[in-house]
Amino acid sequence: MKPEQVGVVVVGGGPAGLSAALNAALAGASVLLIDSNSKLGGQYWRHLPETWLEQSELHLDLDTGLLLISAVANNPKIEIWSGAEIWSATHENGATTLRLITKGVEKIITTNALVLATGAYDRTLPFPGWDIPGVMTPGGAQSLIKGHGVAAGKRVVVAGTGPFLLPVAAGLAQIGCEVVELLEANSPLRWLKSFPTLIQNLSKIGEAAHYIAIFNKFGVRPKFKRAVVAAHANKDGELESVSIAKIDSNFNIKKIDRVKCDLAAIGWGFTADTSLAGALLLKQFVTKDDGVAVSVDENQQSSIAGIFAAGEITGIGGSELSIAEGVIAGLAAAIYLGCKAEISDDHRKTKVKKHKFADALINSYPVKSGWQGWLTDETIICRCEEVKYSKLKFSVIELGATDSRTAKLLSRCGMGMCQGRICGRFLVDLVANESGISPSDISEKERISVGNRPIITPISIELLANGE
Amino acid sequence: MNSPDAIVIGAGVVGASCALALTNAGLRVLIIDRGPVASGTSGAGEGNILVSDKEPSPELTLALRSRNAWFEVNEDIGGGFELDGKGGVVISRTESGIAGLAKLAKAQRENGIDAREVNAAELRKLEPHISPTIEYGVYYPQDAQCQPMLAAAQMIRAVKQRGGKFIQGENVIAINSKNGQVTGLTTNKNAYASPIVLNATGTWAGDIAKLAGSYLPIAPRRGFILVTVPAPELIFHKVYDADYVANIASGEADLQSSAVVEGTASGTILIGASRERVGFKSEFEIPILRQLARQAISVFPILKEVQLLRAYRGFRPYAPDHLPVIGEDGNISGLWHAAGHEGAGIVLAPATAELITAEILGKTPFMDPTPFSPKRFMNQDPSAGVHVAS
Repeated sequence: MKPEQVGVVVVGGGPAGLSAALNAALAGASVLLIDSNSKLGGQYWRHLPETWLEQSELHLDLDTGLLLISAVANNPKIEIWSGAEIWSATHENGATTLRLITKGVEKIITTNALVLATGAYDRTLPFPGWDIPGVMTPGGAQSLIKGHGVAAGKRVVVAGTGPFLLPVAAGLAQIGCEVVELLEANSPLRWLKSFPTLIQNLSKIGEAAHYIAIFNKFGVRPKFKRAVVAAHANKDGELESVSIAKIDSNFNIKKIDRVKCDLAAIGWGFTADTSLAGALLLKQFVTKDDGVAVSVDENQQSSIAGIFAAGEITGIGGSELSIAEGVIAGLAAAIYLGCKAEISDDHRKTKVKKHKFADALINSYPVKSGWQGWLTDETIICRCEEVKYSKLKFSVIELGATDSRTAKLLSRCGMGMCQGRICGRFLVDLVANESGISPSDISEKERISVGNRPIITPISIELLANGE
Repeated sequence: MNSPDAIVIGAGVVGASCALALTNAGLRVLIIDRGPVASGTSGAGEGNILVSDKEPSPELTLALRSRNAWFEVNEDIGGGFELDGKGGVVISRTESGIAGLAKLAKAQRENGIDAREVNAAELRKLEPHISPTIEYGVYYPQDAQCQPMLAAAQMIRAVKQRGGKFIQGENVIAINSKNGQVTGLTTNKNAYASPIVLNATGTWAGDIAKLAGSYLPIAPRRGFILVTVPAPELIFHKVYDADYVANIASGEADLQSSAVVEGTASGTILIGASRERVGFKSEFEIPILRQLARQAISVFPILKEVQLLRAYRGFRPYAPDHLPVIGEDGNISGLWHAAGHEGAGIVLAPATAELITAEILGKTPFMDPTPFSPKRFMNQDPSAGVHVAS
């Protein structure tokens, strides 16, 4: 099997990837778009069912998504591989080799111009009972709504922090769930610090107003400075209620109430999926919210010439920023291959403006360290390997781990199926706290290495053996 | 503890074993590592406690004692490192391979190893999923396995409970001596005085020897390991191809690999083993991973269905004559080495610790330590103008 040499390769079919693919094609490049989902749209425009055309109020910029998806799908210069999982990536002598599995077969391609737009997934925090069926992430709840048009529960609590809670709560209300609580952990007053940025992004205020109108219609009353700090199961092991705490500005618990519910959607913003970038050894950095992002220049080019990155993996910033970055990355990748194209100032201006807004989001929706106080010794930290907090603490206090890698290997936290995608980020903070290391003293290298895994996604031993 | 009775450099399994043995002999021991516990070769292996891959030699004597010593350590410190006496199965498929394996097993039996030849039917009782093409094997009930990082961490925990100390994150920059006798060492942060310094830095032991003006020809021999998703109840022993024994003994720098497959306490299956001398080259080389997968399937076709979850690589500390380096330095008294165990560091660690502790205390060791002595490399330092034997 000889590696297939192609033009621009774009990885990811969300807002950034679609924009990159379309713009690279419009600039004259032949494009291969690789996406792990079965349908284009990414997590943001996930599985838009046909009937949604009549229900566009469920999704604000649905039109943009449908237009972009159809433009990409109908462009003869773009080949699309959906449902394709990249398991390995290496870069040598100016070319990147991607090894991926599609329809049960391994394919190997090489390219000189690669755009990574691998997006992000929900950022989670552990708490007692977070592994009970019925507790999920907002992204998980939304994909249930969007994918099937049905909700998993009837009495719903939506909690955590960040603007993404709003469309999820609104969507759940619109498909007939009773949203009994919508809880934002931070105070809305935090936005005052970013007031100038907010008034430059009036469309965002419009979005908020749109959701508030929906909440009024369905009687949902958002509350602030509250969080779900524990979940409780009934005798069948399903979610029965959650403990809701009033919290202070550092997320310490002040007062707890119990609320009955059968679905809890809880999320703390997003974590960029940098595993492909990490496998390619691209330079990464730690963001203000202690996440990890890929370093890029003004043309979205990474530390390796010919590899570009766009969207959430360069820093969480939402779909509009992702689209602006995707456009720039797609054009830059085509230009890199010798196509004639120009990156207009409009895209760069949009990017700068939306970046400021993304910074304001980080400042307005922080995750404060008080959440660590919600844990008990019995709380599961790693769901794949069912590692309890007490075992993680043992690895630090008794076995001498002072970094998350050592704690992981001594406790098995992060060693399971998801390879630390869920627990890796907060594991770093828990280990540092137990070791008496202040969060600001955690090394960049440690935070970055959590997302690095040479085998990006599992591959069967047979496929591995059969390849060359 | 700035003036301990002994300082052990290196918090891998060999260093931890030595620290534990010295502590149990009544010394106050300080362990120093530039990184966390077992962050070098110990944290990148399979946790092999094998006697089956040893040909009659001083190393076999050491391995046999060490295998039992592991169970004594387990008793001593209260376990906690997944020690499992699960046994090993070595297989061969070629006529010459089978003859060679039978001959090795016979020689091993004469040297005290329990090595039982098994036919096709017996093999299937031991390993129901083994390939139908395999009809001959040797069963080694003494082979065992542990989780090496936990082993190092638990032994160091015991050392600390018994009055010793572990300092991590300090890099040794000088071995101090006066009139040919060690007086201590200096790290990038502190100085420590001690009449005994034990170099247990594995693949990096040559660097420490060099700091003391001495010479150890220990080089890295890279290996990759594949880890599958948890798939319990598939593979019950450590199962490997007899080619593995030949590969260990080989002096070739090129890639050698043979099928080595086993389950672990956590349910994952480990697939090895490759050996090559490429320095500290860390890139993941996909062709090697594919070769390991092919070899594993040839022994266990059922593995086809199992998913690869991750892969890792490590650097075995390799001495040109494939024997570990255990004993006092030839140039500086009070400087001791316990390193260069290649791929057998886990199995050999507790007996290495016994041997070196007896020597340090001037007691009679359980075997003649001469073959392992670092003095065998004296006057071979190439930088001193003498050619190194390889």
